[in-house]
Amino acid sequence: MNLDFSQIVPSIPFILEGIGATLKFVSVSILFGLVLGTILALCKITNKKILKWPADIYTSIFRGTPLILQLMLIHYAIPQLTGYDIAIFLSAVLAFGLNSAAYVSEIIRAGILAVDQGQVEAAEALGVPYPAMMLSIILPQALKNILPALMNEFITLTKESALVSTIGYMDLMRRAEIVGAQLYRNFEPLLIAGIIYWIMIFILTNIGSFVERRMRQSD
Amino acid sequence: MIKTIDLSKEFGNNSVLKNITTTIQPGEVVAVIGPSGSGKSTFLRCLNLLEQPSSGEIWFHDNEVANSNANKTEIRKNIGMVFQHFHLFPHMTVLENVTYAPVKVKKLKKDEAEQIAKELLAKVGLTDKESSYPNRLSGGQKQRVAIARALAMDPEAMLFDEPTSALDPEMVKEVLDVMKDLAQTGMTMVVVTHEMNFAKEVADRIMFLDEGRLMEEDKPQTFFNQPKTTRAKEFLDKVL
Repeated sequence: MNLDFSQIVPSIPFILEGIGATLKFVSVSILFGLVLGTILALCKITNKKILKWPADIYTSIFRGTPLILQLMLIHYAIPQLTGYDIAIFLSAVLAFGLNSAAYVSEIIRAGILAVDQGQVEAAEALGVPYPAMMLSIILPQALKNILPALMNEFITLTKESALVSTIGYMDLMRRAEIVGAQLYRNFEPLLIAGIIYWIMIFILTNIGSFVERRMRQSD
Repeated sequence: MIKTIDLSKEFGNNSVLKNITTTIQPGEVVAVIGPSGSGKSTFLRCLNLLEQPSSGEIWFHDNEVANSNANKTEIRKNIGMVFQHFHLFPHMTVLENVTYAPVKVKKLKKDEAEQIAKELLAKVGLTDKESSYPNRLSGGQKQRVAIARALAMDPEAMLFDEPTSALDPEMVKEVLDVMKDLAQTGMTMVVVTHEMNFAKEVADRIMFLDEGRLMEEDKPQTFFNQPKTTRAKEFLDKVL
C-alpha cells in the first residue's frame, strides 16, 4: 500500500475539466436519443408497415451490436468511406445518441402500450387530432410510468460515456488515464474519476426522483 | 339528424350488428336497451365512428359519413360521448379536462374555454372541484365531469355508453339527474343503459336490440307495457 495523493493534487483541476466535457456530450446524447427514440416508438406502434419495419430493424441493429463497435465505426469508418473527417464530439454524440434511441424507443413503446386504450377513445371522441393526442394525452401518461426505466437508461449512458476515451475525447475517464500515465500512478486518478462519476449519477438519480414526485402530483 | 341504413358490424366471423336502420331526430332521447352482447355499445360506437361499420350507411345531417373519407374529426366535434369508465385524463385537473378539447380542437381562447367550463361544472354541481385531479373524485363526480367535458364542445348530440354501469348504487342518481336536466334542454341523446326507470321516464323512444338485430323500437309506454316480440318480453321479465 503506497497511496499518495499529494503528487496528483496539481493534476486534479485537469481531471475536473473532464466533468464539463462528459456532461456536455452526455446531455446532448440523451436529448438526441430521447427525441429519436420517441419518433421510433411512434413508428413502432402504428400499423403502417413502412414505418414499423425500419424502426424494428433499426432497434435490432443498434441493440444487437456493441456500442464500442458503433463508436469505432462512426469515428474511423466514416472518414475512410466518405473522406469527411468527423469531429470527435460529433462521433461521440452520434454513436451514443443513435444507440440510446434504440433502447429508449423500446421503453417508450412499452409505456405507450400501457396507457389505457380508453384514453385514446376519449381523445378521439372529442375530435382531438392524433399528434395532439399523442403529445398532450398519451405521452405524458406514458412518461410517468416509464420514468424509472428512462432514468436507468440515462444512468447507463452517463457511465458508458467513458467509452469515448477510446477515440480520444477528453472526458473524465481519458483525463484520469492521462494523469495516471504521466505519474505512473493509476490508483489515485482513477479513484478520483470514479468518485466524480458516482457523484454525477447520484445527482442524476435525485433529479429523476424529483421529477417523478412532481409527475405523481395527480395521484 | 343521425340516420343509419343497414348498419352492420362484424369482428372477424362474429357478426355483432345486423342491418340496423333507424333515424334519430333532433331533440330526441333514444334509450338503447337489450341483453349484454346484443350490440348496443357497438351500435353507439359506430355513430361517431369509434368503430368503423363493416357495411351500411350512416348519415349525419346531409352527409354520408361511414363510407366517405369524411373528416372524422368534424363528426366527433359535433357528437359528444360519455363512456362507462369515464376515461377522464388523469394527468389534468378537472378544469383542464373540460377545457382541453375546446382549446385544442375548436381553437377557443383559453379564458373563453374556462368560462364555458366553469358554467358547465356549475351545471353538473362540481364548481368546487375544478382544480382537483380525477383520482380525487368519486365515480359519480367523475362521470359528471365527463359529461361536462363532452358538453364543452357544444355538440349537437350526445352518446352515452352505459354511463351508470360502473358506479356505486348511491351515485347513479346524481348522474341520471344531470342527464335528465340535459334531456330537458332539448339535447339529442342516444343512451345505452340498463336503467329501465330512466329509459321509461326520460326516453322518447326505446330501441331494443338482441343478437345484433333491432328487434323493436317504440315509445317507452308501448314497449314496456305491450312488448311485441317474445325476446323483448323475456328480457323485460328478467330486468323489471
